Amino acid sequence: MNWSEHLPALTLAIPLLGAFGAPVAGIFGRLVRNVWFLLFSALTAISTLLLWQYVSAQGIAIYVLGGESWSLALPSGMSLPIRIILQVDAFSALMALIGGIAMFAGAIFSLRFMERFSGLDKFVTLFFLLTVGMLGMELTGDLFNFFVFLEIASIASIGLVAFWRDKPEAVEAGFKYMLVSIVGAMMVLIAVGILYGRYDVINFAAVAQNLHMGLAEKVALSFVVIALAMKSGAVPMHMWTPDAYGEAPAGVTCLLVAVSQASLYGLFRVCFSLYGATMGSGVVAWTIIILGMLSMFVGVTMAVIQKDIKRLMAYHSVSQIGYMFLGLGVGLLAIADPRALGEYGMTAMQGGIYHLFNYSMYKGLLFLTAGALYYRTGTRNLNEMGGLARSMPRTTIMFVIAAAAIAGLPPFNGFVSKLLIYESTFAVHPILPVVAMVTSVLTLASFVKVFQTAFLGPARERFRQVREVPPTMVAGMAVLAVVVLGLTLFPTWSLANMINPAAEALVDKAGYIKAVMGGGF
Amino acid sequence: MWPTIYSGFGFWDVYSWIAFFIILNALALFFRGQGRGDYKKGTEQDEIFYGGNEVPEDGDDFAVPASSAYWGFTEALKGFYTKLLDLHTGLATDYVGYMFLTAAVLMALIVL
Repeated sequence: MNWSEHLPALTLAIPLLGAFGAPVAGIFGRLVRNVWFLLFSALTAISTLLLWQYVSAQGIAIYVLGGESWSLALPSGMSLPIRIILQVDAFSALMALIGGIAMFAGAIFSLRFMERFSGLDKFVTLFFLLTVGMLGMELTGDLFNFFVFLEIASIASIGLVAFWRDKPEAVEAGFKYMLVSIVGAMMVLIAVGILYGRYDVINFAAVAQNLHMGLAEKVALSFVVIALAMKSGAVPMHMWTPDAYGEAPAGVTCLLVAVSQASLYGLFRVCFSLYGATMGSGVVAWTIIILGMLSMFVGVTMAVIQKDIKRLMAYHSVSQIGYMFLGLGVGLLAIADPRALGEYGMTAMQGGIYHLFNYSMYKGLLFLTAGALYYRTGTRNLNEMGGLARSMPRTTIMFVIAAAAIAGLPPFNGFVSKLLIYESTFAVHPILPVVAMVTSVLTLASFVKVFQTAFLGPARERFRQVREVPPTMVAGMAVLAVVVLGLTLFPTWSLANMINPAAEALVDKAGYIKAVMGGGF
Repeated sequence: MWPTIYSGFGFWDVYSWIAFFIILNALALFFRGQGRGDYKKGTEQDEIFYGGNEVPEDGDDFAVPASSAYWGFTEALKGFYTKLLDLHTGLATDYVGYMFLTAAVLMALIVL
């Protein structure tokens, strides 16, 4: 067996080892722990890159944990897919790569950002556990393990959101996130239980092969859609996001952005690969589109009036999630009609997935720049900032790149994905791109406000001593800035090699089933 | 190769835009270069014009705070914002309540 065939398992094993080894490394001092943190975050990112390359070259990767074959053959000849299976197609691999890049950037940034705080062994452990949860959700091939990884990610997130436990706001944010996460996880567990009760299997492909729409399946679908839409931060279930994103340390928020995308991944994996055209009506697709529209508009209008930089950015996360809901919702609407899928559905999905990639990179970068400002000024209040471009030029450049990208200014990558979404969703109804464009204008307006108030304007006396953040923090931001610029300058390559294969994998339900089930069971 | 993305309805060509920005910036630098470079540094010619008044030493005294930005926009949408802010209570029970409400509505729509 070629070692690269073990990449799906290695991608989970590396951060898991990073998590449990961190307290041991911490015994040997700060330097050893930091080297451990950096080494394992780099290895995790490399592993996701290799996994993406492997899947791009070889097609869907199936990995059975603890066995050579996915099935358990009974004396009667019947075989059931009961083992723990990792199933990685182009969409899963792209999501893992996005998560890998975000966690690597967050880890580099956190090295100096967190050094003035205590309990960093626990921080590193939770950071890696959150990575394991995120990657597990994206790589698993069965429903129950999806729930398990969702819980791992939730528990680690709660710990990290409330990491500054001497701040009441952080503890409150952690508690709120815990409450909604538990309710959401219970909904997912009930849905898994319903489907297991109906089909005696929990493997995605096995359930998808046998699924037919009945009352129980509809109830399960409702629970999954709502729970994962909440975890993604869609309106009206978005209210935990400004609390959690605002209070978490900046490097963690960068990772939390990618973790929320793992929930979005789960939502679309269930909608496309598990249910697909068997959904019949367009109710779920329209629900996703409407949630997307609400998220875009409510998120951005709430962002415009914020004066706390991280809460402002968190509301923009809600707003940006709306674009992905809109793009992928329109794709879902067209799934049963090959003509509609060809005319606008695939373009909408490409736009949605491209935006997902873009969003994870520039939003992570924005949160890191907010962290850099907080690191030097000690405040998140925009009213108290001003004139920082003179003393923090590198942070300013990073902010300008990310802000231009999120606002969809040409030639930045945010424009390309938004263009694909505007033009394809217009075919469904003209109001859809109108709301999206208004949102984009308001996004630009609110980032102009941030730029003007934090970076431009007269210098404040109390920030006279402020200087640029340490090189490792700049390096963390630079990782994401380079990816944003790469996606900007090479949109054709990105679409052809990363986005298109992911969109095609998502609509190819038969291929997803066949990769595991082959001739059936 | 001149890569272009076709959306099915239009197209996107990043390099044309970059060429456009390079030309635009060259023009901007050209016009900037036409300004007078013979001003006297360190005199009143070099000072900020602040409505004819003395410029305060600390930026805090004359900066426009972020919360004043887009005052007209928020004032015009006061009714909308009042309702929107009322929904954002910050209460954890409300967070869960909205989730259950949405789940109930979706379930009713799917099942019925």
